[in-house]
Amino acid sequence: MVSLFNIDFKKISVFSDEEASERKKKFELFLKTGLPNKKDENWKFSDLNFIISKNFKQITIPEDLKFDKKIQFIRDFDHNHITLINGVYKSCDIRFEEKEKVKIEGLKSFDSFTIEKGNNLYNLNRALSSGGFSLEVQKDYKCKKPIIIYNYFTSDLDNKIINNSNQIKLSQNSELTLIEYNITEKSKFIKNTFENINIGQGSLLKSITIQKTKSNGYFYKNISGIQDYSSSYQNFILSSGLKFNKIEINMNLEKENSNCYILSGLSLSKDEHQEIKTQINHFAPNCKSYQKIKNVLENDSTGVYQGKIFVKDIAQKTDAYQLSKALILDDKAEFNAKPELEIYADDVKCSHGSTSGSIDEDAIHYLMTRGIKLSIAKKLLINGFLNEIFENIPEEKIKTFLEKSIMEQVDGI
Amino acid sequence: MKSGELKNQEYKYGFSTDIENFKAPKGLSEKTIKFISEVKKEPKWMLDWRLKAFNRLKVLKEPNWQKPKYPKINYQDLYYFSAPKSMKDKPKSLDEVDPKLIETYNKLGIPLNEQKKLSGVAVDAVFDSVSVATTFKGELDKMGIIFCPISEAIQKHPELVKKYLGSVIPISDHYFATLNSAVFTDGSFVYIPPNIKCPMELSTYFRINASETGQFERTLIIADKGSYVSYLEGCTAPMRDENQLHAANVELIALDDAEIKYSTVQNWYPGDKDGVGGIYNFVTKRGACRGKNSKISWTQVETGSAITWKYPSCILQGDNSVGEFYSIAITNNHQKADTGTKMIHLGKNTKSKIISKGISAGQADNTYRGLVDIGAKAKNSRNYTQCDSLLMGNKCGAHTVPYIKNKNSSSTIEHEATTSKINEDQLFYCNQRGLNQEEAVSLIVNGFCKEVLQQLPMEFAVEAQKLVSISLEGSVG
Repeated sequence: MVSLFNIDFKKISVFSDEEASERKKKFELFLKTGLPNKKDENWKFSDLNFIISKNFKQITIPEDLKFDKKIQFIRDFDHNHITLINGVYKSCDIRFEEKEKVKIEGLKSFDSFTIEKGNNLYNLNRALSSGGFSLEVQKDYKCKKPIIIYNYFTSDLDNKIINNSNQIKLSQNSELTLIEYNITEKSKFIKNTFENINIGQGSLLKSITIQKTKSNGYFYKNISGIQDYSSSYQNFILSSGLKFNKIEINMNLEKENSNCYILSGLSLSKDEHQEIKTQINHFAPNCKSYQKIKNVLENDSTGVYQGKIFVKDIAQKTDAYQLSKALILDDKAEFNAKPELEIYADDVKCSHGSTSGSIDEDAIHYLMTRGIKLSIAKKLLINGFLNEIFENIPEEKIKTFLEKSIMEQVDGI
Repeated sequence: MKSGELKNQEYKYGFSTDIENFKAPKGLSEKTIKFISEVKKEPKWMLDWRLKAFNRLKVLKEPNWQKPKYPKINYQDLYYFSAPKSMKDKPKSLDEVDPKLIETYNKLGIPLNEQKKLSGVAVDAVFDSVSVATTFKGELDKMGIIFCPISEAIQKHPELVKKYLGSVIPISDHYFATLNSAVFTDGSFVYIPPNIKCPMELSTYFRINASETGQFERTLIIADKGSYVSYLEGCTAPMRDENQLHAANVELIALDDAEIKYSTVQNWYPGDKDGVGGIYNFVTKRGACRGKNSKISWTQVETGSAITWKYPSCILQGDNSVGEFYSIAITNNHQKADTGTKMIHLGKNTKSKIISKGISAGQADNTYRGLVDIGAKAKNSRNYTQCDSLLMGNKCGAHTVPYIKNKNSSSTIEHEATTSKINEDQLFYCNQRGLNQEEAVSLIVNGFCKEVLQQLPMEFAVEAQKLVSISLEGSVG
């Protein structure tokens, strides 16, 4: 592990001296156990240690760089934006919002980050983290347009590891739609991100993740958040096209009447490995959570879903549902699922379903008898399978944009 | 059943029989293993096999990933062999068996006596560590069916035992399986010759009597080509305020076109209302569908034990083989269960079905943990899993931990799970028609379990149905 990582701590900009020594301690802690492997229950289906050591000989941190390229912005709908270059906060433009209501800046402190123990990637992140942003929406303010995060990765990132942390806070009765848009140039790198979300009473956060093009990136993202009374969190994960991607979401429904939706539609091709892991903790009565994960797997790709619903004894009237579905198109592809329930309250409605299999032969036959070619019939069915995910996005323009991006991916099949 | 009756139903098998015991020296050592082997007059290869397992055990660690945690077991403080003294020189027939033993089995309702043979179930009864008697032997012999204690099979049919023992659960499998391989004392052995359909249910009754003893039985069932057998297993233990360990291994082998149906009604002593005492039921059960078109079906009703920790599994090696698992696990008071199954699909066109019903009351914890693994070569395979949990009260827990792996495009896996409480409307409906709360719950629970109870052979189904009601006594309201 020591030989794999070649880190120069002098290159990291720190908030304080105290913090600098803390970083070294965290890094030593990380080196003790190294990258997680399949012996770790959370990584049972995605052996990160194996994947990284197979693809990387040496890992260093990126240098400071001067960035003068022009990013191609999305023109399909009006939006505000934040630009992150190689994970570091660069600039923001919130032209559609009242300036004093939305506060965006580079991350200044890790104080709000508390991550469950035993996650060694957190130690790594705290040791090397540089960059990321902090976003706060003020009380009673509903953002008029979505904010797109342009996450740009340059071409000189070969064998580099990017660590960053983001902080998102929605005060009482506020609303925000956040779209993370990843643009990667051709380089092979690792990204390790921790995100902290705090959704205030009566607030709504919608988050969408999408990938512009295929990438050689190896991404890990850990999202942990808490939700107050009657708050709502919706997360759409549509980021197909990475070599490795694991998104881990831990959401605590701490107060009554809050709800949490996680939906994902992914189409994976050659040599790709994606995992979504969710843990929804129902700590209060009358909350609702819903997870729907759909994977289309071709070639030798691997799709994984690990989900857990925890219901505390006082969280009566909980309504929780988990569904994972996979279309396996090739004999080399693989789908693994572990949908878990841990329930201590009796007056609840908790269920999960998981299916995996091939495309329905009857449906193909039906389409072909109506004069549609086999390849087109397949694409139609795959599209239909994935479309179910963004039917839940109400904004027409965003939906059309997402549909278009997904269509491009499916056409590649 | 009237509700008053229901409330007063204590664990009725909780008596202990005062029989003089003959025990191995306390503790786990090479000496103990040699002692067991010697008492059983075992051939050398068997002793070597046991010692090999014992050596393996020294480097193995006790697993700790399970949900129910328990205090550390002191393996040196246990007796690994205990037999009624009168069994030291084996009785030739039932007439020579200690009358106290017969009395015990009569109390338990096990048809050992000639008169009860009319009920038509062949029984092998295991008391602590030795097999006491096997009924119906002559009749089975005529058909070539071997049904005897495994210690007898080791001497009389060594070629079969050598070939199949440890072929499904290898001696190095995991801690408790290895422990069993080293110190197993007795159990049943069944061999069904080709193209024979066993005409009656074969049954084993297990009883732990002596205190500070572990029971380590080993069962081996081989169904040769084209044969069929249905096997039942029942268990009870006296009430004691200490925890007793039960670590059994059960191996099933089905060859081409053979079918094995294995049913268990497990009613070991569950401990008292405050969770004191009870059996630790850590059992390894595994079946291999070796042949084409073979089938193994597990049915279990788990109502007893302080901790139940077992996963009866099927390895579907043969093409077109079928694995089934039907389970009811009921936990009340402080009982804990972590049970489920593994269906490992290796052959083409293999099918498996899992129906699991968990009921949790009092302060109990009930976990379904299962694995469905369809390998890359298991084309056109199918699995259907349904696991439902019922919660009574908010001090108990119900958990589901399924692992689902699909490695080829022509196979289909379907999994569903639900957790809920007893429907108020259904309760109200029953109350309206004059059933009191307990009767109504008993009726609804039986309905909830029906899919599994249906799978049990007649003789067991009635007993199991009663057991389901009794296990939940006092958990309503």
